[in-house]
Amino acid sequence: MVFVWITAFFLLIALIVLIIYQLMCLADLEFDYINPYDSASRINKVVLPEFALQGVLCLLFLLSGHWLLFLFCAPIVYYNVRLYQQQQHLVDVTEIFNQLDTEKKRRLFKLISVVVILFLSLFWMIWSMLEDDE
Amino acid sequence: MQPMGNDKPTNVPGRPVSPFRAAPQSSTPFISSGPVVGLEASGASRATTPFLSSGPGTILGASGTPQTTVPFLSSGPITGTQMSNYRSPPPPPVRYNGPSSPPPPTSYPAQDATTYQQTQAPRFPPPGQPVTPFRGPVGSSGPSPSGSFRPQPQIPSVPMGPPPQTATQMSSRSNMPPPLSESSFSATRPPPQPSLQGYSYGLPRGNMPPASAEPQLPAPRSVSQPPLQQAFPSSHVPPVHASYHAHQGGVVPPPPPPIGGPLGYNSREQIQYPNIGPPIGGNLQGLVEEFQSLSVGSAPGSLDHGVDVKSLPRPLSGDEEPIKILETFPLNCHPRFLRLTTYAIPSSQSLLARWHLPLGAVVHPLAEVPDGEEVPIVNFGPAGIIRCRRCRTYVNPYVTFTDAGRKWRCNICSLLNDVSGEYYCALDASGRRCDVDQRPELSKGSVEFVAPTEYMVRPPMPPLYFFLIDVSVSAVRSGFLEVVATTIKSCLDELPGFPRTQIGFLTFDSTLHFHNLKSSLTQPQMLVVADLDDIFLPLPDDLLVNLSDSRHVVDALLDSLPSMFQDNANIESALGPALKAALMVMSQLGGKLLVFQSTLPSIGVGRLRLRGDDLRIYGTDKEHTLRIPDDPFYKQMAAEFTKHQIAVDVYAFSEKYTDIASLGSLAKYTGGQVYHYPSFQAPTHQEKLRYELARDLTRETAWESVMRVRCGKGVRFTTYHGHFMLRSTDLLALPAVDCDKAFAMQLSLEDTLMTTQTVYFQVALLYTSSSGERRIRVHTAAAHVVADLGEMYRQADTGAIILLLSRLAVENTLSHKLEDARQLMQLKLVKSLKEYRNLHVVQHRLGGRLIFPESLRFLPLYVLSLCKSLALRGGYADVPLDERCAAGYNMMILPIRRMLKLLYPGLYRIDENLIKGPEEFNESSKQLALSAQSLDPRALYIYDDGFSFIVWLGRMLSPDIVNNTLGVDLSGFPDLSRLALLEHDNEYSRKLMRIIRRLREKDPSCFQLCRVVRQGEQPREGSLLLSNLFEDQAAGTSGYVDWILQIYRQLQSS
Repeated sequence: MVFVWITAFFLLIALIVLIIYQLMCLADLEFDYINPYDSASRINKVVLPEFALQGVLCLLFLLSGHWLLFLFCAPIVYYNVRLYQQQQHLVDVTEIFNQLDTEKKRRLFKLISVVVILFLSLFWMIWSMLEDDE
Repeated sequence: MQPMGNDKPTNVPGRPVSPFRAAPQSSTPFISSGPVVGLEASGASRATTPFLSSGPGTILGASGTPQTTVPFLSSGPITGTQMSNYRSPPPPPVRYNGPSSPPPPTSYPAQDATTYQQTQAPRFPPPGQPVTPFRGPVGSSGPSPSGSFRPQPQIPSVPMGPPPQTATQMSSRSNMPPPLSESSFSATRPPPQPSLQGYSYGLPRGNMPPASAEPQLPAPRSVSQPPLQQAFPSSHVPPVHASYHAHQGGVVPPPPPPIGGPLGYNSREQIQYPNIGPPIGGNLQGLVEEFQSLSVGSAPGSLDHGVDVKSLPRPLSGDEEPIKILETFPLNCHPRFLRLTTYAIPSSQSLLARWHLPLGAVVHPLAEVPDGEEVPIVNFGPAGIIRCRRCRTYVNPYVTFTDAGRKWRCNICSLLNDVSGEYYCALDASGRRCDVDQRPELSKGSVEFVAPTEYMVRPPMPPLYFFLIDVSVSAVRSGFLEVVATTIKSCLDELPGFPRTQIGFLTFDSTLHFHNLKSSLTQPQMLVVADLDDIFLPLPDDLLVNLSDSRHVVDALLDSLPSMFQDNANIESALGPALKAALMVMSQLGGKLLVFQSTLPSIGVGRLRLRGDDLRIYGTDKEHTLRIPDDPFYKQMAAEFTKHQIAVDVYAFSEKYTDIASLGSLAKYTGGQVYHYPSFQAPTHQEKLRYELARDLTRETAWESVMRVRCGKGVRFTTYHGHFMLRSTDLLALPAVDCDKAFAMQLSLEDTLMTTQTVYFQVALLYTSSSGERRIRVHTAAAHVVADLGEMYRQADTGAIILLLSRLAVENTLSHKLEDARQLMQLKLVKSLKEYRNLHVVQHRLGGRLIFPESLRFLPLYVLSLCKSLALRGGYADVPLDERCAAGYNMMILPIRRMLKLLYPGLYRIDENLIKGPEEFNESSKQLALSAQSLDPRALYIYDDGFSFIVWLGRMLSPDIVNNTLGVDLSGFPDLSRLALLEHDNEYSRKLMRIIRRLREKDPSCFQLCRVVRQGEQPREGSLLLSNLFEDQAAGTSGYVDWILQIYRQLQSS
């Protein structure tokens, strides 16, 4: 069980790092520190890994039987899958400035929900450890 | 014009008949401060001296400082009493304005009395008043007369309506500059200057004298005729409004209209701008209501809709450039370079929220200028270009020099900069630099700086043209290959930038054919690369050569090109790999890539599939996907091209679907252009292709350019619309830009409240000229900040608004349904008119009238025709998908003048010109309303939308003319779609061709292909002409009258 918690913890941290990285690229672009080509290619490089991590995390919760956490994760995964199906998961370098706001909002939401899941799972982990001790 | 007939009767009998006027007064006491007073006062002034017209100023009381002139005082009481008498509902100004038709027969007044009673009672005197001369004009003159005829539908309304010109006449008069301010200012003003430049040289900044309209004014004043009618005797002086602004000293927005605000507003205005004195002008302007109106009230149950078709405003004179702004700000760049949607920038977010139209600018940085007005070139030499340290604004006429000329204050960020030693010049007594006249950058709104090496990241590139030509079987068969080859060959001498020009060719079908053009060869070598997955260049160089060195090889290639692929049976097209190869060839230098494509790209990367024939997708949420690129490859390529300073022009010739939506994105993000020739056939279309390709190759082009628009504190450009790529939030990358491309952008306010009174805009285009010089073209403009919505409407520019709206609509179709895009535009129109109505509804009885600002009188019509334009009209069956996309891409680059021409094409009747003597053809006077009712079966018409001409032959047109002009016998029913209009050896034909040439000269940016269609020749007549008569009701769309009614109903309901 501890293994599951630790894996989940590191997955969540990795997810947060990836999303923050994308947000930073977008912010840099907005303040004209990097050009749209670099920004878009950097973001696009980490989009698929992020999706994969999210999927793995969701699967982990499902298999380890944490239904509630799984339910928290599932909407994000569903959203990612839909983006991928519509081929909208990558940022478009030609339209990046017009989409800047939506892209940022999208990632902020993801960040917030991942952070919430992180706290929930931490709380759960401590809870279950305390229960184990008893 | 009929100046006296209507005015005098209204006023003169008006005074004695006090009882009838007093009656309604009690119901609407509020109007006393409104223009009603002005109306009567003007009557008084007419009777006595022009000075009297200041009367309303005092009557307005709270605001006006009395002018203590004797005649005025004596007239004061008169006006006062009149005011009280006259408070009754004012006859709408249109009555005054449109009296261009003679008074009606005497039988009318009686009818009028009854009808007004029924339908428009609140606005009209009770029928007991037998003021016959008053009513006569009412019935006959306004643009809304038909209401009065409603109960007598058998009376033909046609003779009653004023001719269509009424609209323009109205417009000029409703903006009447006040005669008083004219006279009071004329003493202090220097003599009229012949030109605008004259001002900028001779006069201190900030107190600009009025400009050109002025010399006309004094004369009518001295005659002391009714100023309303005489001061602006013709409708050809539309920008009258501006001269009025100019009188206010050039710094101040014109005083608010008395209608627009309550008294408190006026007084505040005075405090704010104490230097202008009492806002007399504002009151006088109230002589006529400042808005225009259309009567649309209809009695319940009546069949007649109550709109007089003939009185609807129509832009028959084409685009009206807002040159009046040059009178307020003579140092602004010419409006052909930069136009704002309104020249009154709102001061607060809340005000902006009430302006439902787009707020923004249209920039046309390289607009063609008439001879003699070229943009001056400034070379600062060793001093370097003078720019603000902080905001990097270029020095411009609006910067102020202080500290004895040692410092200058930036007009955009108001930072104090040092003046370098080389640029120093002493100031004269008024604080102006002594050398202003010698320095164009301080006296002209548009200048071009020669940029030193700091503005280059690499040596200036040579003009470079690379041709990517599809040589598959369809290209050979349609004949475009031959036309293209001969056209390029004929243009080689005129390519810009000799002797540095570089050129290269790549042909492709299912393989890529590179052409070695090394100058030491006698014949070009063709190198074929068949591996489409791994593109490589067979030669390191010599694919791109200097034209003057390898001229003979290039000539040989172009000569042999058509014959070389004569027997090509290859039907595949590997456009994607060819684009990649072109990128590899050009990536070192950049330049212009011309893609000639005749089929759907079918193999290799970037292959496209046939889509768009699935009917079920239309009307669903997925409809828009047909209009966006199918394969992200094209967008990625476009991004790469822009990165390497390559502009792509796409020439598409296909009978079948070519997916212009995907191909066009190449042009969209590289500053290019899409040329679409549906079902190209060399015999009929070659002339058009020849002309447009030649223009593309030989017009002056700015290379590797970037453009930035700076603006003052508090405002910011947020979104940009056009063909370019954004390199950072406000920097437009334009690998190549020329005089045929305009850009639109939207403004937003950053602060909730703007504190400055003027906001400045500066367009800077940094580019490499064809001669290899790095240049910066700078256009500077200023606009007032206002706190009054009415002022925003008054200073609105329909052309810029409609251009921005159309680009927004086209972009909207890329993410929404066509229907949604159309509805959004309609919604914007309705909201803005509604806001305008709310502005005036308190003081005026607007029942049964659709009111709109004079500046936006054409907006409803333009929005209607925008909804019916090729890019937005109908659904699946109405326009082939490719044509729709091509039209959409086209609308994204059109400058204002051509856009308005496209939205309201010219329709001219020319058979009389053909028959009559050598009288010159004058377009502006002969343009007809765009409706099938204008078409007379006995006549011959030319329809001109700026992209093609359609010659329409009436059914009963004399066969003599037909046969002579066409050169064929029409009785044999020849296929007119294949008929080319050529000059034949007879007088008719020569005259017709002369007229066509004249029309073409007006718009050199495109070749208008001339097509002939006979009346009743379906379906060609319908698709070519009838569906483009935007005022008519067509399948599923409303006509102009219905549209107005629809707008009116929406205004009423919501």
